[in-house]
Amino acid sequence: MDDPSSDFGRELLARGVSRREFLGFCTSLAVMIGLPRSASAAIAEAIENNPKPTLVWLNFQDCAGNTESFLRASKPTAAEVILDLISIDYHEVIMAAAGHQAEANLRSVVESQSGQYIAVVEGSIPTGAGGAYMTVGGRSALQIANEVCGNALATIAAGTCASFGGIPAASPNPTGALGISDAVPGIKTLINLSACPVNAQNLTATLVYFLTYSKWPPLDHLNRPLFAYGKSIHDNCERRAHYDSGQYVEQWGDEAHRDGQCLYKMGCKGPVSFQNCPNIGWNDNTSWPVACGHGCIGCAEPDFWDKMTPFYEHLPGFPGFGRGSDIDKIGFWGTLGVTGAFAAHTLTHLGKRLVQNGGDKAQEGPPASTPLDEGDEK
Amino acid sequence: MTVPAENVGVQPDVGREQTRDGYERVYVWDLIVRASHWIIMLSIFTLAGTGIYIGDPFLIPSGATNEQFVMGNVKVVHSYAAIVFTLTVAVRIGWMFVGSYYARWREFVPTTARRIRDVFGMLKFYLFLAKKPPLNVGHNPLAGSIYLLVFALYLLMIATGFALYSVSADGYMEMWNFLLPLFGGAQMARWIHHVAMWFILGFFAHHIWSAMLVSKVEGMGLIDSMFSGYKFLPPGWRNRDD
Repeated sequence: MDDPSSDFGRELLARGVSRREFLGFCTSLAVMIGLPRSASAAIAEAIENNPKPTLVWLNFQDCAGNTESFLRASKPTAAEVILDLISIDYHEVIMAAAGHQAEANLRSVVESQSGQYIAVVEGSIPTGAGGAYMTVGGRSALQIANEVCGNALATIAAGTCASFGGIPAASPNPTGALGISDAVPGIKTLINLSACPVNAQNLTATLVYFLTYSKWPPLDHLNRPLFAYGKSIHDNCERRAHYDSGQYVEQWGDEAHRDGQCLYKMGCKGPVSFQNCPNIGWNDNTSWPVACGHGCIGCAEPDFWDKMTPFYEHLPGFPGFGRGSDIDKIGFWGTLGVTGAFAAHTLTHLGKRLVQNGGDKAQEGPPASTPLDEGDEK
Repeated sequence: MTVPAENVGVQPDVGREQTRDGYERVYVWDLIVRASHWIIMLSIFTLAGTGIYIGDPFLIPSGATNEQFVMGNVKVVHSYAAIVFTLTVAVRIGWMFVGSYYARWREFVPTTARRIRDVFGMLKFYLFLAKKPPLNVGHNPLAGSIYLLVFALYLLMIATGFALYSVSADGYMEMWNFLLPLFGGAQMARWIHHVAMWFILGFFAHHIWSAMLVSKVEGMGLIDSMFSGYKFLPPGWRNRDD
């Protein structure tokens, strides 16, 4: 550390990040990606010496929350240094350039480094009204995405909006918003880092994986890296023991809630959501929703705003009975209704027979058989 | 009520196979049919009971967390009952193709002209338009086609159940992961699993009453036959076209 041998080392020194801290960061990344501890040396080596790719960051239809997620890091971390060192040539929120100058930057990257830069996309792409819902420099989001993502080495969809459409695509989806995979089909390499917002750690880990191995991490069926989205929230949850033992919060602020018990009955979607929140946490592992006493809302899942709501109910309601309707109540009364209807039906049938046969007399012979077909009766 | 004239007063030879008035005791349901019927019923009761608890855990044990395992135990029972249910349904579906005559798929799919006619005959009976249901030895064709839908519900339950199990599975059960996107994600699979349960319970409520009604009206021992395998069939049942 006394004699930083690389630009990167000097950069770390300038920001007051010790080499020990940096190696610790590499080890934690190795663990996160699911590699043995020994891989941390390879990662450190790669971060220090491998050429950093150019990165353009496109903001489409969203709240810029994914950018915020990065900018709000509480202290200058090694992750921030890496993201600074990666040459971010275009980022509408943080770049100094503006207007035509900014657009010229983007165009020069797309033209001069075609097939070599990484495109990070934030926000969904509106396709309604010919793309008129969102234009930058006179071009629609769809045109920009087609051009920039189509020429990129790889596209990383940061956040649920870019991955699956997210909140802008929620019903009734007035702008016809789509995620990147639907709006720009046929992208060579697409990595979805869903979540609302994206966890900065997962983006860093994905980029570092690429820097180290020159390939992208293995993905699940929704193109999400398995290291981050391979397990359900529920399976790694710190409150899981309460779930298995049957101890649940039943009301906000009740004794079980204050005791930190399971939020399953409060509509926690942890069992049906996939991400590594319980392991890596948020905001430098300060906390994460369930640790704060709030159930998971499944923000990393496709169509979460439509499918995971009501957030404080276990299941959505039954069609025609309202979104918050209680399926069990409807099912119970429905079953009881069927029972009553068929009981009435059966009793009517049998009652009619009784009257027709003369209920006071004993019946003669076997009660019934169908009249046989004509041909048989002789 | 209409016993053919030639049989009235004729003394039948009362034996193992024949009863009074020419009624014949006929072996209709083989052992696999009967056993699978009751195993499926019992496993559905177990699955529905445990499933309702899993969906809405209404028992909250007191005491230290490490001394309780209520949800864990209920889930274990649910999983084992699911194995029994799945295997029994699989055997019963296979038996539709290799089993005895009245266990076969033709009992469930009305194909012949007579069975298609009897679907409407049965509907007429249920709608008070006919006094008696048409005579059928095995399932009546209307019931048979409803059972086909019930089997479809069973398969839906099995598929959504396996998909949900695969979320946390470690090992070969992970292979059912591919089902999750077909249902629109785990939350939707959960919803389908839940709603389909109520449809099955609704069918159960209907099944009990219609079995009692038809058993009483037919007088052929329908409910008993699901225990013994034997139905009491009126004379001439062999002459029915198929």
